[in-house]
Amino acid sequence: MKKSLRKTNLLKSLFDVEEGYSLTQAIAEADRCLLCHDAPCSAGCPAETDPGKFIRKLRLKNLKGAVRTIKENNILGGVCGIVCPAGRLCEEKCSATEIDKPINIGRLQRFLVEYGWQIGFNPLIKKPANNIKVAVVGSGPAGLTCAAYLAKEGYDVTVFELNKKPGGILRYGVPSFRLGEDFADREIKDITALGVKLKCNSPVKGKGAVENLLKKGFKAVFACAGLSLPYKIDIPGAHLKNVTTSTEFLKDAKAGNHEKISRLVKNKCVAIIGGGSVAMDVASTCRALKADKVYCIALEGMGELPAYKDDLLMALDNCVIIKPQCRVKEITGKGGAVAGVKGNETKWKVKGPGLFIPSNAEDVPGAGFSLNAGAVIIAIGSGPDSRLKEQLPKVKFTKRGLIQVNKNTLATSAKGVYAGGDIVRGPALAVDAVADGKKAAKAIMKSLQGGK
Amino acid sequence: MRELSIEFCGVKFPTPFLLSSSPVSNTAEMIARGFDKGFGGVAYKTLGGEHTKIIHPSPRMRGYDYGGKKVIGVQNVEMTTDRPLKDNIKDIKWLKKRYPKHVVIGSIMGFSKGEWRDLALTVEDAGVDMLELNFSCPHMSVEGTGMKVGQAFELVKEFTRIVRDCVKLPILAKLTSNVTDITEPALYAKEGGADGITAINTVRGLAGIGLDDFIPSLNVYGRGAISGYSGPAIKPIGLKCIVELAKKKELGLPLSGCGGAETWIDAVEYLLCGASTLQMTTSVIRYGHRVVEDMCEGLSDFMDAKGFKQVKDIVGKALPNIHETSAFDVSKQGAASYDLERCIGCGQCYIVCRDAGGQALEWDSKKRRPVPDDEKCYSCMICSFVCPVDDLITFKDIKGKKPYTPKPSKL
Repeated sequence: MKKSLRKTNLLKSLFDVEEGYSLTQAIAEADRCLLCHDAPCSAGCPAETDPGKFIRKLRLKNLKGAVRTIKENNILGGVCGIVCPAGRLCEEKCSATEIDKPINIGRLQRFLVEYGWQIGFNPLIKKPANNIKVAVVGSGPAGLTCAAYLAKEGYDVTVFELNKKPGGILRYGVPSFRLGEDFADREIKDITALGVKLKCNSPVKGKGAVENLLKKGFKAVFACAGLSLPYKIDIPGAHLKNVTTSTEFLKDAKAGNHEKISRLVKNKCVAIIGGGSVAMDVASTCRALKADKVYCIALEGMGELPAYKDDLLMALDNCVIIKPQCRVKEITGKGGAVAGVKGNETKWKVKGPGLFIPSNAEDVPGAGFSLNAGAVIIAIGSGPDSRLKEQLPKVKFTKRGLIQVNKNTLATSAKGVYAGGDIVRGPALAVDAVADGKKAAKAIMKSLQGGK
Repeated sequence: MRELSIEFCGVKFPTPFLLSSSPVSNTAEMIARGFDKGFGGVAYKTLGGEHTKIIHPSPRMRGYDYGGKKVIGVQNVEMTTDRPLKDNIKDIKWLKKRYPKHVVIGSIMGFSKGEWRDLALTVEDAGVDMLELNFSCPHMSVEGTGMKVGQAFELVKEFTRIVRDCVKLPILAKLTSNVTDITEPALYAKEGGADGITAINTVRGLAGIGLDDFIPSLNVYGRGAISGYSGPAIKPIGLKCIVELAKKKELGLPLSGCGGAETWIDAVEYLLCGASTLQMTTSVIRYGHRVVEDMCEGLSDFMDAKGFKQVKDIVGKALPNIHETSAFDVSKQGAASYDLERCIGCGQCYIVCRDAGGQALEWDSKKRRPVPDDEKCYSCMICSFVCPVDDLITFKDIKGKKPYTPKPSKL
């Protein structure tokens, strides 16, 4: 099959998904691998997907074995191969960098998972049912992973999802040009094939609702609802029409409300507030939707942006204009809708790592700016849903509103309730969520077997 | 993972994969680690008599690369063990004690009849499960030793007979491919009482010559030699020998394949061609013991996919499909078929068809695409192996096609 990798990052549309490797391309890439003794790539994966092993298997033509290694270690191995900032994880310490450049591990991982699907090879063998029921609240990467590994061991797992479709952040937070809808659906199919019951449009709402699942026959609950509430910004004009948040914008983009978001940005200047990966994804999405000019206004300097390099480069390739070390102070309006933004360039009061925070920024005198903008998108992160505490009255929370857990078992202060993913960590990677899902599944199995 | 055991010469092997008699089977400690990874047995590095002190040349090996691909072959000047016999015997005993279910084959090479007998009795006493008689080491300069035995068939028989007469254990004769017909010494080994054949040892070769000093690239202080060459490059020769031995009706002995196996696919090929076990060294030299993990997993998945219950069911399955070339049906002819939609226009097919093939392609220089001619194509298929796009050029049968020969040049 002929496959061509994207030759340019310049997006033609919202669905301009990059194809994966062909077998020949994958073999050629694996041939560059040095097959290190103490593979630093394997040490660099939070979910212990073990690239050192699966690349060796690919190299020695044991392709099914390679697929097995990935899927047994990381049920979302395909998705992670696409969305992981591999340059910061497995590829970071790749020894081949010393020869030439790191092995493209993410792409190899994606290839192998797709290869397994292509040849109809499913390495995951489900153990006989043990009729022990476990509930998972939230179908993001943490929840899906926990559910999959429990189901594989014979547990009867039900996942409750608030939204129409499963996947959480993968479904509603990652743009289509990065992770195609079909790809995510296919990988989720591997999970439902293990017998996991996915209940969408099924919010677990009301006082004590999550904890009460334990009274409904579930022997354990894994809470992993993620961070669904976007942070807002308290400046004049924040209420104006055409001001939105990255969460809402990306969700609309993924949920098929293209007309709505297209209307918001097409042929307009768009000001995005934020300098992280999500801001860059929003910016690239705006460009794919034919926005005229797109600014990313960030408090950090160019070298300090929290966005992953690939996401930043993608935005730059799509002609996004980064305005570093700038603060928006006002959104100006006309007739109730956004007309522009006003702000000032900033500098740090004190220099040093960990000090890239608003309270450490001060205005550079005489460096005010104003931009013409037809839409403003706020991309400064999100926090936990405020109703979460109500649903989990026995669970202890941190000051930031995150769930407190035992780091080794992910057990919360409420017996039988475990938690993981962003709701515990704050904003983190999909692969971290996978790691949590695995850890929780192990701890849940251990506690339930011990209780027999 | 499936059960991968197989019986070979009456001995049960946990897996069909063995470390062959070579540097990779030099000590018990390294062999033990190999067992832990999935090797089912070992042909322990060849023991010789104590009368001849072995001192290895330095350096001992030279890798042979091709393009960006490292170690497609290795040239070596390795000899039999240089460790004291008593140390090796201790190691063999330790191995058998710690790994009672794994198979330890004592490889021996005598420099005289008496030595063959003494060595056979000594290793039998140490507790080995089988013996392998090394008639094939390509680096023995003494007449009547190593490969020189394998080339002097009467000696194969004589030495095998000597060992047969003094031990009860199954005996393998390890043969060299550096003969015209490997089945001849195999038949002599059988006459001498061998229970099975191991084939092949390394092929004599020369990895290269230094262009500044004119010394072979395996340069032993200014001198080089023709010596044993191994690795993926010799796999076709190993397979050929196994097929010849397997097809020799008068022989009818079980076979242990050896030569260039690196992946589970190579392993399955050896089994399909008639080998019941498979020995390896160069793949371990290249990748370490971990190669066997992939061989076991790959073999197991292959058996699942094809419905084989036991490894022995695979052995020899390809043999009915391997014929003399005279048996081909030449009334059927085909041609190279081009999927030009996917062509990227490099023109390598055109170059090789013109210079080395049937001149069956034209080149459309405007479109930068080849123009095939089915009638002229004599299906050498060279174009298909140089084409960089997967399966763009494939073989197709053409009903009623007549063989084509080029027209003479006009005077």
